[in-house]
Amino acid sequence: MQRKYEIVYIFDSALEEPEVNERLDRFHDLLKSPDNAEPITGIAHWGKRTLAYPIKNKEIGYYVVAQFEADTTLLSEFERIIKLDDTVLRYLVVINEGLSVNRPDIGDSAEESDDEHADVALERDAVSDVPEPPVPADTEPASDVDGEEEEDQTTTTSGGGE
Amino acid sequence: MSRPSKTCPICESGNRIIDYKDERTLSRYITERGKILPSRLSGMCARHQRQLTQAIKRARHLALLPFIKGHGR
Repeated sequence: MQRKYEIVYIFDSALEEPEVNERLDRFHDLLKSPDNAEPITGIAHWGKRTLAYPIKNKEIGYYVVAQFEADTTLLSEFERIIKLDDTVLRYLVVINEGLSVNRPDIGDSAEESDDEHADVALERDAVSDVPEPPVPADTEPASDVDGEEEEDQTTTTSGGGE
Repeated sequence: MSRPSKTCPICESGNRIIDYKDERTLSRYITERGKILPSRLSGMCARHQRQLTQAIKRARHLALLPFIKGHGR
């Protein structure tokens, strides 16, 4: 049975683009079958990106997103070969739900959301400006100094009492 | 006592599906430490809250979002 899938690869950032492409070709050849010669329906190279946490002691990964249509029986062998490749730090295969392969924070949608963000930020600023009571920064250090002086006095007086 | 009515931010935006690759949107629904916000705070409807948790967990696996923020570095 043919299904639509989406896969995200994270390659070692030490690989150059030709090496990544060579590996992608090798993986994607596994998905080809007599009745489906062109399984890949979309591919996007996000390029190098900082990882949110280190994977295999690496801070940077090379992201590739691909969408493909393949028979369910081919998938296990496909995933086995990917797991064997040490230069693939992570991968994720999910059912394609009609999402875009491109990075969502680049392009039209990003601009729209930017505008929304800006509006919200402005509103928040406006709101937060009002209730903030005027607390001058000078008061805190001043009170600290007072406290120290008082402590000194008490120690001296207690010393005098003894 | 009735809770103030909230509308789901994803329904409002017109999206049907939350994208696990959209880390900028997802990062609005995690706490400072990287925990998933409950629907009580995110204001999402049940369907989108379920999608959100799934999307955040996928994004974490792909190192788009941290499991724990401010840990280590």
